[in-house]
Amino acid sequence: MKVTLNWIKEFLDDYNQNKISPGDFADILTMSGTEVKKIENIGSKYENIIIGKIVDFINHPSADKLSLCKVDTGTRIASIVCGAKNFKKGDIVVTALPGAVVNGMTIRENKIRGQISEGMMCSEMELGLSSDSEGIMILDESFRVGESFSKSVGLDDIVLELEVTPNRPDCLGVIGIAREISALTGIEFKIPEYDFDKRLNIDSNFIIEIEDYNLCPRYTAKIFENITNIQTPLWLRNRLLMCDIRSISLIVDLTNYIMLETGQPLHAFDKDLLYSNKIVVRRAKEDEKIKLIDDSTRILDNDMLVIADEKKAVAIAGIMGGKDTEINPDTKNILLEAANFNGPSIMRTSKKIGLRSEASNRFEKKIDPLLTLYAVGRFEDVLNKITGYGIKGCIYDNYKKTERQRNIVLRTDRVKQILGKDIDKNTISRIFTGLKIENRIRDKNIETIIPSWRYEDLEREIDLVEEIARIYGYDKFDSIPTTVTGRRGKYTGYQKAVREIRQSLCDIGLNEVINYSFCSIDTIKKFRLDLEKEYSDNVEILNPINEDFRYLRTTLLPSLLKNVRDNINHNIKDIGIFEISKIFKKRSDEDNDTLPLEINKIGVMLTGKRVQKSWSEEERNTDFYDLKGILEFIYDKYYFNSILKIEESDYKFFHPRINGSIRINGKKMGIIGKIHPLLVMEAEINQDVYYMELNLDDFVNNIRKEKKYKAITNFPSIDVDLAIVVDEEIKNDDIVSEIKKCGSSLLKDVRLFDIYRGPQIEKNKKSMAYSLNFREDSRTLKDAEVEIIVKRILENLGKKFNAKIRE
Amino acid sequence: MIQKLLKNWLKLQRKNLHKIMDEKEKIDDINNLIESELVNFTRELDNVKSLSELESVKTKYTGKKSFLTVTLRNIGSLPVQLRPIIGNKSNAARKKIEADILKKEQFLKGIEYEKKLREESIDLSLPGRGIKAGRKNIISSVIEEIEEIFIGMGFEIAEGPEVETDYYNFEALNTPADHPARSLHDTFFVSDSILLRTHTSPVQIRYMEKNKPPIFIIVPGKVYRRDYDVTHTPMFTQIEGLVVDKDINFGNLKWTIETFAYEIFGRKRKVRFRPHYFPFTEPSAEVDVSCNICGGKGCRSCSGSGWLEILGAGMVDPNLYKFVGYDPEEVSGFAFGMGIERICMLKYGIDDLRLFFENDLRFIDQF
Repeated sequence: MKVTLNWIKEFLDDYNQNKISPGDFADILTMSGTEVKKIENIGSKYENIIIGKIVDFINHPSADKLSLCKVDTGTRIASIVCGAKNFKKGDIVVTALPGAVVNGMTIRENKIRGQISEGMMCSEMELGLSSDSEGIMILDESFRVGESFSKSVGLDDIVLELEVTPNRPDCLGVIGIAREISALTGIEFKIPEYDFDKRLNIDSNFIIEIEDYNLCPRYTAKIFENITNIQTPLWLRNRLLMCDIRSISLIVDLTNYIMLETGQPLHAFDKDLLYSNKIVVRRAKEDEKIKLIDDSTRILDNDMLVIADEKKAVAIAGIMGGKDTEINPDTKNILLEAANFNGPSIMRTSKKIGLRSEASNRFEKKIDPLLTLYAVGRFEDVLNKITGYGIKGCIYDNYKKTERQRNIVLRTDRVKQILGKDIDKNTISRIFTGLKIENRIRDKNIETIIPSWRYEDLEREIDLVEEIARIYGYDKFDSIPTTVTGRRGKYTGYQKAVREIRQSLCDIGLNEVINYSFCSIDTIKKFRLDLEKEYSDNVEILNPINEDFRYLRTTLLPSLLKNVRDNINHNIKDIGIFEISKIFKKRSDEDNDTLPLEINKIGVMLTGKRVQKSWSEEERNTDFYDLKGILEFIYDKYYFNSILKIEESDYKFFHPRINGSIRINGKKMGIIGKIHPLLVMEAEINQDVYYMELNLDDFVNNIRKEKKYKAITNFPSIDVDLAIVVDEEIKNDDIVSEIKKCGSSLLKDVRLFDIYRGPQIEKNKKSMAYSLNFREDSRTLKDAEVEIIVKRILENLGKKFNAKIRE
Repeated sequence: MIQKLLKNWLKLQRKNLHKIMDEKEKIDDINNLIESELVNFTRELDNVKSLSELESVKTKYTGKKSFLTVTLRNIGSLPVQLRPIIGNKSNAARKKIEADILKKEQFLKGIEYEKKLREESIDLSLPGRGIKAGRKNIISSVIEEIEEIFIGMGFEIAEGPEVETDYYNFEALNTPADHPARSLHDTFFVSDSILLRTHTSPVQIRYMEKNKPPIFIIVPGKVYRRDYDVTHTPMFTQIEGLVVDKDINFGNLKWTIETFAYEIFGRKRKVRFRPHYFPFTEPSAEVDVSCNICGGKGCRSCSGSGWLEILGAGMVDPNLYKFVGYDPEEVSGFAFGMGIERICMLKYGIDDLRLFFENDLRFIDQF
C-alpha cells in the first residue's frame, strides 16, 4: 500500500514542529511493524518546474510548426520555443526551466533553429501525470505564476510504500497510519471536523434489505442528486496517482480517495440505472451472471454475495461493481455504498473467481463496521468542498449492531514472563493511552477497553503484550542467554549416518544435486514407471503450476538424468552426481485422508569417463562396476559381517541385462543398473549412463556395525591361487560362495584377480582366477591342510559348475 | 718415518735387553709414539674426501706394516712387565682408529648415495593422479552449518513429513480456514485436507504432541508454495526452530537469534528485530542483519535500507499450546524460521534463486 507523507500529516497536529525527517518517519513505522519498503521523493522530480504564463507568442521565423513564446516565469520573461499549438495568449502553463529533468532529459538553454529557448512547456505525459501527450498542459487561472509546479498541484510530497501485516486492517488507510505515528511519537492525532448531514434513516425513500447479517453486518448508503460533473482537481488526481490509482472521473476518484484515506471501500452506482429505490444484499443464484466494470463476465454461485436491485445483481459484494450501473459521463444521481462484509466470505469469493481488488483486499481482513458512516460523511465533505454540492440528505443505514467492545485485563507479571523485562506499569499505561486503548491500573493489573478499530486483532492478554513490546521498541529488550542444564544438542544416529554418507560420496568425487520433488505424466510414461509396482502410485497435485509439476516423484532417476543432460549441454560430460531426497507414494488403501508414504532415497548417477586421459594414464569410460564400487564403498562402511548381493532384475528403465536389485543381508534395499539406451537416446545423451538408487531409510535403519575387539594373530597365512575354466553363464557370486562353503573357517578371504577369455580356452567359456587366503588363528597352518581343502573346493566346483582347473 | 722410529726403538730395546733401565722412560717413549701416531691419523682422516683416500689411510694405520700392527706383533719381545701396558695402549689406539674409519666410511658412503639420489629428479609440478573431491550441495552445507551452530546451543534436529494435513500446516498453527494469512501461502493441494507443507512449522506441533518441555529443536526441510517466477521457486528449503520451557522469554529469543546470526554472518554484522505478524507467534518479529555491501548506509542490495531480512521469529502463541495439551501459563517459548536459499544468497552473494535447483555443476562446484 502506498500513502503520502503530506496526507498523513493532515491527521497529526503540529507535525511540522517535530522535525521528523522522512527517513526517520519511515524508520519509526518500520520498527513498529509496518514495514516501509520504499521511500520516494516525488517533489524532487519536479525541481525547476514552475507555473508560467504565456504573455505573447509569434511563429518561429524559420520553422512553421514551432512557435516562439514569451513566458512569464514570475521573476522574468523567458523565451521558449514550443512545438504545440493548443495554447493562446494568457494561458497558464507548466514550464520546465534549465536544470529541470523532464522525461529523463535535463532541460538546458539552447538554440532551436536559430532561436534561443530558455526552457520547455510540458504536456501531462511529459510530467508523468497521464498518457495525454496532445499539446501542453493548460492550467486554470487559480494557479499563481512563478510558484513551484509540484507545490501548486500537491506533488511536493513523499510517497511511502508500506507492507501492512494482515492483522492490521485498521492500517489500510492514511488515518490508521497517522494513528500509529501518534502512538509511536506522541504527536497528537486529530480528525478534522467534517461537514456532512448526519441524519440517519429519516425517511424510507430508499430501502436496504440485507438477507444475511452474517455476510453483511452493515450497509450504509447515501443518494447524491444532480451532481456537477466537473474534472477532478489536480491535487486529488495527483494524490491518487502517487498511490498508484488511475483517475477516472470525479465520483470514482472520490470513492477511491476516501478509501485510501479511511480504509473503507466505497462504491458509487448510477442511481438512475438501478431498477428501483431498493438495494438487496443477497446470495447469488446458481449460475447467475454479471458483467463487471473491468468488462469481464463472471458466473456466480450460491456461496457468493451480491448487491442487487430488484431485478438483478449490480455488484459482487466487496469485490467489484457491475458494468450496467457504473458511473458514466451522463450520470446525474448516484447511490454511494459504504458497506461492511464478512471477511472470510469475501476472501473465498475472491479466490474462487480469481479477482482481487483494493476493496476485497480490505474486506478480507475484517474492517471496522463503524467506518461506514464516517466514510460517507467524508465523501460528502470533500464533494461539497470541490463542487459546492451542499450538506443535505440523510444517510440510509442498515446495521445489525454486534458487540464491538472488549475488556481485557493485563497482568504485569505476564508481561515480564513473556518479554523477560520488567516494564513499569505507568509506562504500559502510557503506551495504551497512545494507542487509544482506554485503561486503568488496578494493583498489578491493567484493565483495558479495546477501541472498535482494533476489535479483531486485540482479543487476548497476549495481544496486549505484543502491543507493549512493539511500541516500547524491540531494540530495548536485552538479550538473555538460555540455560543449558539437563540437555545436550546432538544428531540422532539416523541423522548422523545420512550426513556421513553425504560427506563420503562427496569425498569420492560425486557432486550433490537437489531437484524439485515434482514430475510430469510424460516422465512417468516415458520411464514406464506406471508399469512398475515399486514406482507407480504417484501422488497427484490438484492445482499444479503446470503439467511438469503435476505429480510427486516416486524415484529420483528422471531428475538426475535431466541433470546429466543439462550439464552435457554445457559440455560437462564426465559426471558423477547424487541426490538425497524424499520420494512419495500413495498408500494402497482408498482412504483419501491418509498421508502418502515418504521415503528418503539416495540416487547416484555416473556417466562419461571414469578415468580421464592424462600424462600418466589411459582414459576409461564408466561402467557398471564403477557404480557397484561406490555401492560397496558405502556398504562396507556400515555393514560388518553382512552379505551384499546384486540380484538380476527386470526394471523397464534399465538395460535388460544390466539390471539389478540390491540386497543386503537378504533385504531388498535398492536398484542398480544401466539406464536403458533408448531412454538415454531419447534424452539426447550420447553416452552410457549408470544409476543406482538406495532406500536410505532401510539402509540406515539396518546398519550392522557391532564393534567388538578380536585379538590380532601373528600366525602366518597361506595364499593359494586357483584358476578354473567355467561356462560363461556361471556367476562369480555363485563360485565364491561355493568356495567359501568348502573353505571351512580357515578360509579368510577369496579374491577374484583375473578373468580370461581367449584362444587358450574353449569358446563360451571363461577362466576365473582366485586368490585364496587361509589362516588358523591359534597356530601355524600346514601346507598339507590347505592342500586338502583346496582339493575339496576344486572337486565341489567341478561337480557344481563343471569347472575344470586351468593348468 | 714411522718405520725408522720403530727400528730405532727396537734397536734400543735389544741393546738394553739385559740392562735394568728406567722403565718409566721406556713407557713414556712408547706412549709418545702411539700418541703421535693417533694425532697423525686424525689429521689425515680429516683430510680424506673419498672412499679411495680412506682406503689408503686405512692401510697406512691398520695395515700389516702400520706402526700399531707392528708393535702388537712384536709385543712378545718386550719385557714381560711392559707388555700389558704397551699392549693395552696399542689396542685402544687401534680400536679408536678402526671406529673412526668406520664412521668416516659411513659418512662418505652417505654422501655418495645422496649424490646418486640427486641424479634421480622428477618434475614435481606435473599434476597428481586424480582423486577429485565432489561438492556437497550449497543448501546441504549451509543447513549443516546452521545445525552445528544450534547443536552447540543444545538443540536437537527434528523432521516431519513434506506432505501434510491442513490441520498441522494451518489449523493447529492458529491459521483457520478463513484466516487472511492463508492468502500469503499459496498452497499445493493433494486433496481437500492434504497439502504440500508451506513451511516447516507443522513439525512444531507434531513434535510438541510427542514430547514434553524442555524442547529445543531445529527442523530443516523442503517446503512448497505455488509461486514460480524470478524470485520464487515452487520448492525451497527452510529451517525452523522451536524452544519451549518454563520461563522462556523474548530476551532468550533475541540472544539465540543474535548468537546464530553472528556465527553465520560474522561478528561485525548488526542484528535488528522488527515487529511483524505471524499467526502462530505473538509477539512476532522479523530479523534483519546489516547489509554487508554498504555496511548499513543503504545501497541497491538492501534497497536503500541498510538492512537485509534473514528470518521470521516470535514468542509461540499460547493458542498453540492448547492444541498440544500444554498449559500456556506454565510454559512459554519461541519459534523462528528462515529460508535457506536466502541465507545462502546473502552469505555468498548469489543473485539468482533459480540457480539452486538447476543443478549446473559449474554452480555446484563453487561451494
